Amino acid sequence: MKNLNHKTRHFIVDPRSKFLILLLNSIFVFGGAGGAHPMMLPIRHVLIAIPLFFLLFEGKGKSACIAALGYAFFYIIQVTYFGLTKGLLNHMLLFSIGFFVRILPNVMAAYYLISTTTVSELISAMERMRFSNYLIIPIIVMMRFFPVVIEESNAVADAMRMRDVRFGGKKISKLLEYRFIPMITCSVKVGEELSASAIARGLGSPMKRTNICNIGFRGIDFFVFVFGILTIIVFSTTKM
Amino acid sequence: MSIVKTNKLTSKDLVTVGIYTAIYFVSMIVVGFLAFIPVFIPLMAILVPILGGIPFMLFLSKTEKFGMITLLSAINGILMFVMGMGIYVAITGLVFGLLADLVVKSGHYESSKKALLGYCVFSLWLFGNFIPFYIGREAQIAMLAEGYGQEYANALNTVMPINMAPVLFVACVVFALVGGVIGKAACKKHFERAGII
Amino acid sequence: MIKLEDVSFSYATAKEKSLKNINIEISKGECILLTGESGCGKTTITRLLNGIIPNYYEGKLQGEVLINGNNIKTMELYQMAAIVGSVFQNPKSQFFNSDVKSELAFICENMGMHPKDIEERMRKAIKEFSIEKYIENSVVQLSGGEKQRIACAAVSTPNPIIYVLDEPSSNLDRQGIILLRDSIQKLKNQGFTIVIAEHRLHYLREIADRVIIMDEGEITSTFLAKDFFLLSKEKIEKYGLRSTSFKDIGHKSINKTNFLKNELVFENFIYAHKGQQECLKIDELKIPQNSITAVIGNNGAGKSTFSKCLCGIYKNSGTLTINDEKQKYKKRLSSCYMVMQDVNHQLFTESVIEEVLLSMDQENNERAKEVLEQLDLLPFIERHPVSLSGGQKQRTAIATAIVSERQVIVFDEPTSGLDFRHMKEVAKELKKLSDKGKTILLVTHDLELIFSCCNFIVEIERGIVNSAYPLYGNTRKLIDYFEIGGNAVEEKKVPVPPKKTFYLRG
Repeated sequence: MKNLNHKTRHFIVDPRSKFLILLLNSIFVFGGAGGAHPMMLPIRHVLIAIPLFFLLFEGKGKSACIAALGYAFFYIIQVTYFGLTKGLLNHMLLFSIGFFVRILPNVMAAYYLISTTTVSELISAMERMRFSNYLIIPIIVMMRFFPVVIEESNAVADAMRMRDVRFGGKKISKLLEYRFIPMITCSVKVGEELSASAIARGLGSPMKRTNICNIGFRGIDFFVFVFGILTIIVFSTTKM
Repeated sequence: MSIVKTNKLTSKDLVTVGIYTAIYFVSMIVVGFLAFIPVFIPLMAILVPILGGIPFMLFLSKTEKFGMITLLSAINGILMFVMGMGIYVAITGLVFGLLADLVVKSGHYESSKKALLGYCVFSLWLFGNFIPFYIGREAQIAMLAEGYGQEYANALNTVMPINMAPVLFVACVVFALVGGVIGKAACKKHFERAGII
Repeated sequence: MIKLEDVSFSYATAKEKSLKNINIEISKGECILLTGESGCGKTTITRLLNGIIPNYYEGKLQGEVLINGNNIKTMELYQMAAIVGSVFQNPKSQFFNSDVKSELAFICENMGMHPKDIEERMRKAIKEFSIEKYIENSVVQLSGGEKQRIACAAVSTPNPIIYVLDEPSSNLDRQGIILLRDSIQKLKNQGFTIVIAEHRLHYLREIADRVIIMDEGEITSTFLAKDFFLLSKEKIEKYGLRSTSFKDIGHKSINKTNFLKNELVFENFIYAHKGQQECLKIDELKIPQNSITAVIGNNGAGKSTFSKCLCGIYKNSGTLTINDEKQKYKKRLSSCYMVMQDVNHQLFTESVIEEVLLSMDQENNERAKEVLEQLDLLPFIERHPVSLSGGQKQRTAIATAIVSERQVIVFDEPTSGLDFRHMKEVAKELKKLSDKGKTILLVTHDLELIFSCCNFIVEIERGIVNSAYPLYGNTRKLIDYFEIGGNAVEEKKVPVPPKKTFYLRG
């Protein structure tokens, strides 16, 4: 097994922990559960930091750093200046702060889950969470297909600019149609090829699937879970 | 067709669900970003059903078995939940998906009236987004004030008054009808003629 | 091994039969090349062999298809996957995993093999195809040829006895084809039965045993490969096939072109994707106005980036001077036009005529029809553009370019996957456009197309212009560039075009 294990990743987090991180982020950071309670603040920062650190260990330090800087900058603005401005500037600030302070951490957690998990790991984790095959197959196909839809959508957008179909250009009323319909048409076409190929490779066979990946709880997962429990305990105290 | 049709979902059906969930979800992201602006939050009840009509009606043309609509709706709900829309979306996604599936099934996956009705029911998953404004409203507003500033919270408080619920409900159904009709028209005008149905 | 008895098939969506009374018998270890014009049914046969028909694409199937003694009608697709390995043409859709290692294990995992067993099989495939160095890569980092090699290796893991390849070379450059040929040769050496549907023939010269030519769903003739590759160029063209060798590709007929004095001058075409190294760096490039210029280079050399910069799709990317007018990217958005490789991206409306009207500043039905008539599209004006054939779609896009009065038209791989007749049609179209005074740039790997219409060559390598020369007098140089040597050349690692999107474990 020399070649396969030659450069194995040293840093492996169980996909279930990644799920948990994403979930906690979306409830407590994006969703803002727990409100302005002082105890929630450090908890939130740890929640935001976990996926960024993990990304760093996975060799994706660059995107992690950019996200961390963006977050820090707007967080400081939020604490110091926010509320001092009015009108349009305020709205723009609101928009950027909303994006960098709430959405971005969530996006990074999702990015962390998607970019560092193989299909095999993901399926294996979902199987251990007792998901049925009826859910697993659509979910992995969907995750595989997202980039394709986005790519097709971008290509259509390029073509629209080249043909001068844009806001302020010709036929504004049909803008949505021109953007939407080709995107769907092209995606469906690629999707058909993708399904044919995946099924010809045995996806969804009734035989019990095996996985070569090696997932399981390790120390780092333990840390994530303990922190998850801590978050929930703190959250419930804020309710009291 | 030489293969005997079963009522059980085949892997082809499951893959199809995955593909259309991705397309539907990407379409939702496009409008989802608008929800940042307070005024647009109630407008979601108009925009989401209208825009979703096209991919959903195309998806219906590929469904002929019970379960596909439920799956699409449930997974979409889970995704929305994971993206931070609150736990209620996951529940409404599953419930209204199942109901929509039953409605379309009663038309044997062929009747276009039932398809339209099914889309109206399906679109109600969106309601899961609004529930936090009604259950635990105080907390929601306070939380928004903390996160986005008092101005934002106030704006939302005005555009989402408590008696808005039935209005949103009706809007959701009405504009799902509109979206469904648009979707049907798009299928006829584009997808059928383009040969992808 | 494989037996088709009186097989007819029509797709559920089509009225006409795609296959009519096909009889083929293939014995073990044979390598069969299926060829013929686009739409002749060769892809349909490959789909029958790997069971995608009738399990995935539905339709009416008559006759018997026996694979290794089993009738495909009684077999499920996942059972077929163990016997038949399938390689498809589009890397965008054929891989399910984003990293090479998972892709290699994918089929076996689906079949529920024991992990120890899977690892054993992967090790074997890695050795067999010598792909050790790619094993930790993600799929997007690979070139087209490497992708097809991984695809071959991945489908070989469950030890199928039959391999079916559907136009595996259509997205490949010169080096990719070398690598692909080598992969197929490896399969053949192991004694597997191989069926390849393909319209590019030259690279299969030493591999194929038998050549089956099809037309409109029927087998028109069958040759032993050694006879087939001796056929004269005229005979091959009569069958509507691509040339079987670069030797007689018709470069003798190239005449000297007198270019206009005017030139298009590209200055400072420098572009880097966000946060990445520069992938295009052209300080100055001159091409004759009114020429048909072929832009050649390996995949990832920067050709597509160059064409996107040229058309103004990428912002702030250099100046183009036409007729002493300096054009920045904004201006170029309306003076240059690209016919994309996947034309579907740029067709928005519900009918051909609307498509053309949309591109006009002032809608003018007469003018639109006039242009469509010149492009032989008049009978289709009410058709949905997406439902047209590939060539008709391209012509629709060309029509929109003509009516919007673009000076420069870029074609991105217009003939990938086209047979001889359609390739010639494209060449004719390009010449017509050039006669109208348009300047044409053609991004292509297709030597036959270049000889059919181009008169100027620009060679791009790693983002810079390697050389730019008129075709006349330099045909030998060009053939040498495209010629595939007798031995597989180790593929050079080319920089990978960056991707904006993220992948599962990218």
